[in-house]
Amino acid sequence: MLIEARDLSYTYMPGTPFQVEALKKINLGIARGEFVGVIGETGSGKSTLVQHFNGLLKPTGGEMCVEGKNIWHGETNLRKLRSRIALLFQFPEHQLFEETVFNDVAFGPRNLGMSGSEMEQRVRFGLTSMGLDFDTYRDRSPFHLSGGEKRRVAMAGIMAMRPEVVVLDEPTAGMDPVGRRKFMEQVSRLHREEKLTVILVTHNMEEIARLAERLFVFNRGELVLQGQPAEVFKSVSLIKETGLEIPAFSELLQQLRQRGKEVRTDLFTVGDVAGEILKLSREERT
Amino acid sequence: MSGMRSITLGHYLPGNSILHRLDPRAKLMGLLILIAALFLIKTFSGFFYFGLFFVLTFVSSRLPWRYFMRGLKPVLYIVFFTLILHFLFTKGGQVFWRFGPLTIEENGVFLGSFMTLRLILLVITTLLVTLTTSPIAFADGIEFLLRPLRVFRVPGHEIAMMMTIALRFIPTLMEESDKIRKAQMARGADFESGNIFRRARNLVPLLVPLFVSAFRRADDLAVAMESRCYRGGDNRTKMRQQQVTCLDYLGVFTTCGIAAAIVLTGV
Ligand SMILES: Nc1ncnc2c1ncn2[C@@H]1O[C@H](COP(=O)(O)OP(=O)(O)OP(=O)(O)O)[C@@H](O)[C@H]1O
Ligand SMILES: [Mg+2]
Repeated sequence: MLIEARDLSYTYMPGTPFQVEALKKINLGIARGEFVGVIGETGSGKSTLVQHFNGLLKPTGGEMCVEGKNIWHGETNLRKLRSRIALLFQFPEHQLFEETVFNDVAFGPRNLGMSGSEMEQRVRFGLTSMGLDFDTYRDRSPFHLSGGEKRRVAMAGIMAMRPEVVVLDEPTAGMDPVGRRKFMEQVSRLHREEKLTVILVTHNMEEIARLAERLFVFNRGELVLQGQPAEVFKSVSLIKETGLEIPAFSELLQQLRQRGKEVRTDLFTVGDVAGEILKLSREERT
Repeated sequence: MSGMRSITLGHYLPGNSILHRLDPRAKLMGLLILIAALFLIKTFSGFFYFGLFFVLTFVSSRLPWRYFMRGLKPVLYIVFFTLILHFLFTKGGQVFWRFGPLTIEENGVFLGSFMTLRLILLVITTLLVTLTTSPIAFADGIEFLLRPLRVFRVPGHEIAMMMTIALRFIPTLMEESDKIRKAQMARGADFESGNIFRRARNLVPLLVPLFVSAFRRADDLAVAMESRCYRGGDNRTKMRQQQVTCLDYLGVFTTCGIAAAIVLTGV
C-alpha cells in the first residue's frame, strides 16, 4: 500500500470544552495508481482525513504510513513528502498570491529548489496539464481570472511539482457544469496517462461513481463502508442513513432489477445506461 | 491548529452561573473597581484576601480550571520576564545571592514577587469576566461605560460596534490563516526555518491571500449592513434590552464593599 492509515484518530482542540472527535480509528489503504473517492456528509471528517496523508495534521491516535513507514516516526522529510503527495484544498483560488500566473505556478517548483529553464518547463507542464495555454496565461494576474480559471491555475501550481499523488478536496465545489466537466476531464486524463494516483473528496455522487475505482464512505468520523462504486451504492439504506444520495442511474437500474428485470447495476454513464435499457427492451420484445 | 489553540485566551464559555447571568455593565463596573483596588493594595495580605475573593467567585462560576489555566499561558512569559528583571536589577536591603557582578537583593525579591502577583491577579480577574460574558454583551457593556464620554464627542456606539465586528472576525481570520498556511505548506512553503529576514519574506504567500480575503469579507459585511439599512449612533434602539436586576446592584455593591475592605486592610 502506498498510503495507509492504521487506527487513525484525530481530535480537534483536545482537553478543551470545544473538543471535536473528527476521526475515530480509521483503517484504510490506497495503492499506487488508484483513483479513489471519499464521500460523506458535511462535517464527517473528510477534509481532516486527507490532511493526514501529507503530514499537515498529526494524528492524535494511531499511525499514518506512506510506503509502510510511519511518517511521524524517524526522519521522514515532510516537505519532500508534500511534493510527492500534493493536496489541493477546498476553494484553492484563495491561496493565489503572486502578481503573475507564471510566478504563482512556479511557487511549488521554486520551493523544491528549481530555477531557470527547469522551472519554466515545470510551469509549462502544470499549465498545459490543466488545459491552459502557457503563453496566453503566463503574464496575466491570477486575481483577474474567472473563478474556473483560478481553480485551474491553482491546480496547475500543484501539478507543476509533478506529484505522484494528488488529493483533491472538493475541487469543483461552486463551479459551473462546463467548468466542472473540463476540470474533471483533465484530472482523469492525468490519471490515465501519467499514472497519477488521485484521491477525490466530493459531494457529487454521479461524478465520483463514474470516475473512482474505489469509494470510502464516512459518517461522523467513522469509515462505514468501502468498495467499488457499484458495490457501495447497493447498500441503499446505509448510504441514505449517512445523509448521502444514490446516483440516479444506480437507483434506476436497481429499481428495474427489483421489478424482476435482468439488468446490470454497475453502470454510471448516460451511454452505458441507455445501452442497457435498449438491450432490455429488445429482449422484452423477443 | 496552533492558531486555533491560542484564541482560547478570553474565549467566551456559555454557562448559567451567577457570574454568567450578571448584567455585563455590572460585571464591567465590578471589574474596574477590582482593578482599581489591585493598584491601591500595598501589602501581601491584601493580595491574599483578594485572591480569596477571586477563588470564591471562580468556584461559583463553574468554569473548568484547566481551560482557564490554558488561557493564562501566553501571559506567563511576561510575568516571568517581570520577575527576572526585578530580581536582577532592583537593589537594596540584604544581599541573598551573588555571582560575579550579579546580585539578588531583598528589595528585588520583594518588589518582583509583588509585581508578579499583581499582574497575575489582574489577568485572572479580567479573564474571569471575559470568559463569562458573550462578546455581544461585552460590547454592550463597553458602549454603556463609554456613554459619559459623549460630552467629549467620543463615539461610544461606533467603538462598541467596531469591537463587536473585530471580535466576531478574529476566529474567522484565524481559521482562514490556518487554511492558507496549510495550503502553501502543501506547495512546499516553509514557515519554520531560516533567519528573521527569510522568515518575514516567507510570510508573503500567507499575508497576501489573507488580506485579499479580509477585504472581501469586509466588503461583503458592508453590503450586508447597508442592505439592512444599518445606521448607528443616536436614537438606535436595542433588540435585547438589558434589564438591571437586584442581583446586579447586589453584585456591584458587594464588589465595592469587598474591594474597599481589602484595600483598607492592605494599605
Ligand atoms: N480547525 C478546526 N477546529 C475545530 N474543529 C474542526 C476544525 N476543522 C474541522 N473541525 C470539526 O471536525 C469535524 C470534521 O470536519 P471536516 O472539515 O473534516 O469535515 P468534512 O467532511 O470535510 O466536511 P465538508 O464536507 O463540509 O467539507 C467537524 O465536526 C468540524 O466541525
Ligand atoms: Mg471538507
